[in-house]
Amino acid sequence: MKLLLTGVSHKTAPVEVRECLAFREESLPAVLGALKAREGVSEAVILSTCNRVEIFLTTEDSADPQAIVDGFLAEQKALNPQTIEPHIYRHQGREAIHHLFRVAASLDSMVVGEPQILGQLKTAYAAAKASGALCGWLDGLYTRAFSVAKRVRSETGIGQMAVSVSYAAVELARKIFGSLENRTIMLVGAGKMSELAARHLRRSGASHVFVTNRTPERAAEMAALFQGTPVDYTRFLSMLPEVDIVVASSGAPHYILRKEDMQRVIAARRNRPMFLIDIAVPRNIEPSVNEIDNVFLYDIDDLQEVVNANLRERMKEAERAEALVADEVDRTMARLKVAEITPTIVGLQEQLEQIRAGELDKVRRRYGPFSPQQEEALEALTRGIINKVAHGPISALRLHSAQPDGAHVVAAIRKAFHLQD
Amino acid sequence: MADMSVVWLRVAAGLYSLGLLHAILTLVRHRENLFRVALGAFWLGAVFHLVSIVEEGLSIQHCPITNFYETLSMCAFLIVLLYLFIYWRYQLESLSVFIFPLVFVMALVATMGNPVNSWTSPVVRDAWLTVHIVLVLLGFAALLFTAVASLLYLFQERELKSKKPRKLSWLPPLGTLDDLIWKSMALGFTLMTLAVIAASTWAFIEHKEAWIRQPAIAISFFTWGTYLALVFLRVTAGWRGRKAAIMTVTVLGFSALTWAAHAHLGGMLKP
Repeated sequence: MKLLLTGVSHKTAPVEVRECLAFREESLPAVLGALKAREGVSEAVILSTCNRVEIFLTTEDSADPQAIVDGFLAEQKALNPQTIEPHIYRHQGREAIHHLFRVAASLDSMVVGEPQILGQLKTAYAAAKASGALCGWLDGLYTRAFSVAKRVRSETGIGQMAVSVSYAAVELARKIFGSLENRTIMLVGAGKMSELAARHLRRSGASHVFVTNRTPERAAEMAALFQGTPVDYTRFLSMLPEVDIVVASSGAPHYILRKEDMQRVIAARRNRPMFLIDIAVPRNIEPSVNEIDNVFLYDIDDLQEVVNANLRERMKEAERAEALVADEVDRTMARLKVAEITPTIVGLQEQLEQIRAGELDKVRRRYGPFSPQQEEALEALTRGIINKVAHGPISALRLHSAQPDGAHVVAAIRKAFHLQD
Repeated sequence: MADMSVVWLRVAAGLYSLGLLHAILTLVRHRENLFRVALGAFWLGAVFHLVSIVEEGLSIQHCPITNFYETLSMCAFLIVLLYLFIYWRYQLESLSVFIFPLVFVMALVATMGNPVNSWTSPVVRDAWLTVHIVLVLLGFAALLFTAVASLLYLFQERELKSKKPRKLSWLPPLGTLDDLIWKSMALGFTLMTLAVIAASTWAFIEHKEAWIRQPAIAISFFTWGTYLALVFLRVTAGWRGRKAAIMTVTVLGFSALTWAAHAHLGGMLKP
């Protein structure tokens, strides 16, 4: 069996190349069918996302997988091989398995640790399985890849920290309030950024959104997006005691929320904590507001700093994940080798058993019949001999199968014992 | 005190106890649904209280502030009047969480000036003391929880204020800690209040009218008073963070002091 992974990703190819090679999800069953139908192909999976296109193939030992893939691509995509060749990577054997595990664990992603890739890989796997292109060893390898990804996610902190400003805001809100259930949000200014932040907060459980804006129509429009309530711009200050989280992004050239205002608000709230997110430039909220007890003010730079710290942390976790993946690849390789030598071991044992049975028959014909005791002694004697003979080659097979020169040892033993291919 | 006066005062204290129940329910269940009933009982209690004071005054032909118990009773009555006035004028419901338990305990202590017969059975005496000790220990544990959670709250708050929330990422969210603080405080206060009631009764029966003059008892009441103040500030002003942490640790300190002052108490249990 040969393994070959051929692909392009955001790291090797610009979007112009990736879009040429991409396969639409609807077309996958037909495409996989065509690939599987090619001479020598055992199994195939095609992963096609906006950041990568990859074809994973297993073939019979006699086939040339690279020629198969090249022929397949030439048939499917009208491409000039010269233009795409520099962007393509090809991994065989161990390298292919390593690459698959890294992709599944989101170590090869644009944002390391992002969780979407695993879902996309599972979709690709399901499509291959449904169209009959996965029916044996590769199926097991993908299942293994999914559990490696799961292990990486649970044993390292790779996916735990927010790496976008709006997620960082949600994470901080969770640090302050615990659960966001029944928390209310006020958007001051109806910009794109505040919409994104509000969307994340809302998805995390925040119950109600108030929107205020200098132009009331825009406020009403945005409020409708979240089934929220528009609030008159002149009145928003008096609404603040009811609000837990404020997202300020108005275009006002001066502070619209000052320390004195916030002191009154927080007293009216009986000191219940408040989270203020100021993503406006110039800033909307006076920085000294953060000095008030139970008020937590983060401006755009503060949030970016949190994101940067998280990214650094994620890189550290990615290193741990790499070690874990390498370890899993080793294990898979060892298992693969054992699977490969199993037919040889079984063949060897059958061969020797056949010889033993034949010789025993000859003896019986010439000197038999034997008493049960004699039969027993002969049985034990011959079995002992073949077991001793088989012991040497079997341990050599087990020992060398995981080594780079393993294939030669296997071939030599097969030859020495006249085992048929 | 005159016997009849004490009887009226006991009735008043019984009515005031509804106020304590109201305060505890407010704490434990975040609802103030017993307030109307407690306020009614408070009114009625005030009438009996007045009768008790008048009775006492008539019997000694003097304004009844001649000893500790009479003074305490008078003082409690004045607080009642003041609260009823404030309530009539400003409808200040939240103050009741502080005033009701305070008045109840004051009235209860004031009824304990006349010595009563000693314990008829040593079993009852020991059981009474055991109940007190168990309540105090449980209350102390709850208070310790409050204090630890308050300190963690303080660290988490610092962390979030510093805008580098990475170093102590294992700390629970402020909201969770706050919930824990609230619940443990409500539980601790309830247990301690019951413990104080049990202990006063026990000490009164054990030591006759001289019980109140023991310093350990004064410390106990003072500690309970600080606890009451903590609870009150939390409920009304929503004290959190630094102020609440300092206050909680203070209460914990006084509690430890009270414990030290009572260190011989366990020895009073008859084997």
